[in-house]
Amino acid sequence: MIGVYRALFLQQFQVMSQYRVATFLYALFSFIRPIIFLAAWLAVAESQGGRVGTFSRADFVGYFVITIFVTHFATSWDFFEFEWEIRRGTLSPKLLRPLHYLNYAIVNNIIWKLMTSVAVIPVAILIAITFDARFQTEPWHLAIGIPSVLLGAALNFMSGWVVASAAFWTTRVHSVVTLHQRIGFIFSGQIAPLSLLPGPLLAIAYALPFGYVLGVPADILRGGHDLPTALALVGGQVVWLAIAIALYRTVWAAGLRQYSAVGA
Amino acid sequence: MTDAVIEARGLTKVYRVHERQEGLGATVRSVFKRTFRDVPAVTDATFRIEAGEVVGFLGPNGAGKTTTLKMLSGLLYPTAGEARVVGHVPWRRNGDFLRSITLLMGNRTQLVWDIAAADSFRVLQEIYRIPEERYRSTLAELTELLDLGPLLHKPVRNLSLGERMKVEFAAGLVHAPRIAFLDEPTLGLDVSMQSRIRRFVAEHNRRSGTTILLTSHYMADVVALCKRVIVIHHGRLLYDGDLGQLALQMAPYKVITVALRDGAGSAVLDELGTVVSRDEAQVTLRVPREVVAERTARIVRDLEGSLTDISVEDPPIEEVIDRVFAGEKLPEAMAT
Repeated sequence: MIGVYRALFLQQFQVMSQYRVATFLYALFSFIRPIIFLAAWLAVAESQGGRVGTFSRADFVGYFVITIFVTHFATSWDFFEFEWEIRRGTLSPKLLRPLHYLNYAIVNNIIWKLMTSVAVIPVAILIAITFDARFQTEPWHLAIGIPSVLLGAALNFMSGWVVASAAFWTTRVHSVVTLHQRIGFIFSGQIAPLSLLPGPLLAIAYALPFGYVLGVPADILRGGHDLPTALALVGGQVVWLAIAIALYRTVWAAGLRQYSAVGA
Repeated sequence: MTDAVIEARGLTKVYRVHERQEGLGATVRSVFKRTFRDVPAVTDATFRIEAGEVVGFLGPNGAGKTTTLKMLSGLLYPTAGEARVVGHVPWRRNGDFLRSITLLMGNRTQLVWDIAAADSFRVLQEIYRIPEERYRSTLAELTELLDLGPLLHKPVRNLSLGERMKVEFAAGLVHAPRIAFLDEPTLGLDVSMQSRIRRFVAEHNRRSGTTILLTSHYMADVVALCKRVIVIHHGRLLYDGDLGQLALQMAPYKVITVALRDGAGSAVLDELGTVVSRDEAQVTLRVPREVVAERTARIVRDLEGSLTDISVEDPPIEEVIDRVFAGEKLPEAMAT
């Protein structure tokens, strides 16, 4: 399997290096949205004497800088492409190879994140310095927070593919994936730190998987939780990931039975 | 009969399709209430193919050829029936099974568009776990047969359709599959490239013993490559057997074309066969096979003064197949 991944990495690197400008422009998505929300929250904080709840101006900068990193590493959108794989007929040859389809998506994700990090990391550091970000991060936050980002990435990836597998039934799955993303947008901690959500919304965010993708790892990394809370939230990530994997296996197997190879 | 590498028994596929009448009203109604119809694509297909055979799968558009190939290659689950391909149930897509087959579809690409084919081949080498030495020798052989040398290091998007098809063949065969399903492999290619691909398929089959199941709308592909054909129409198998025998039974005549100076004496020909076309200088007639020699001799003798040319040919295979598709009944002994 190492050989397969090495070859796929090289192939995907070659493909992406063909489209350097497009790759760079897509990377903008990772930090444009957090910057917009940072600007909005800074304005709110200014109007309320420099604080909103437990967040000072510097805390907001710290949170959204970390959100840039977490958004970049934990979100993926290659499942938007899935319906086109079916419609263009490019899924079929992949299904007939002795390698599970998901491996291609995993490699695409990793190589994309690595290549675009070159653009995202300096921008995030620049914002942190310019706006005087405040972090309360201790070493143990990093020790738990980094695995938490990886769990968030895996959860976002697997739950996205559960939704994208609807393409076996509907073919035009873009709207379904977009709806999934938009719900995540509200409950994942992109608009606001989870702890600033009103009570009912906060309860929903922790009851659904979305908060565990971005908000939980971002809060752990900025030092916003004590150890027991952080461990409990990571436990929640593990549970949701296990559910997403089980759901994916079921939906994918059912989808393959349904697959009509329309584009091929 | 123990060497069958492909066995299908009662293979059936029914698609459920959404149906809607034309017009705004029907469109609005279909938003709220969908109506579906079951469309049988393949019905009760039963056949077996021995190792090393090259079998042509013939049928008009929508006959069920591609659906059958997709079921046998494991892409589609059948609605009913069974199949074994190299001992595996195809739609379980077991790893050993997938390493034993390839499905090549004309006008469909499995190569990555933006990079050189050679790079995609390396990925395939890893996916199919092909040892380096075998990979090199297989690729060298494919390169020689398909004249791939100048093509391997160009991005696939820069290749012409014919060049791309050659590279697709190499990609599909680099893991040396035991079974190759070829679906319209010469679609859209010019005559010269079609001929090249045909020669390649024949030579590859001769060298490697790969079993080939081929669909094509170009009868020349089938005539050049397939001794045996399976004819399918409206999802049902109509014939499974020798191509020459099918032609003999469905068209028990030969076509004699006679060229005459100024058309003189052409009336004599009406008595010697069924005239199918006539113009000033040329008459074409059908003559039963058993009397072809005698009628040809009579034409030469009776029209000696005005005859400028004569040819005796089998009817074109397209005509034979057209007659099968048009619903002409096969002789009972030949029908599946």
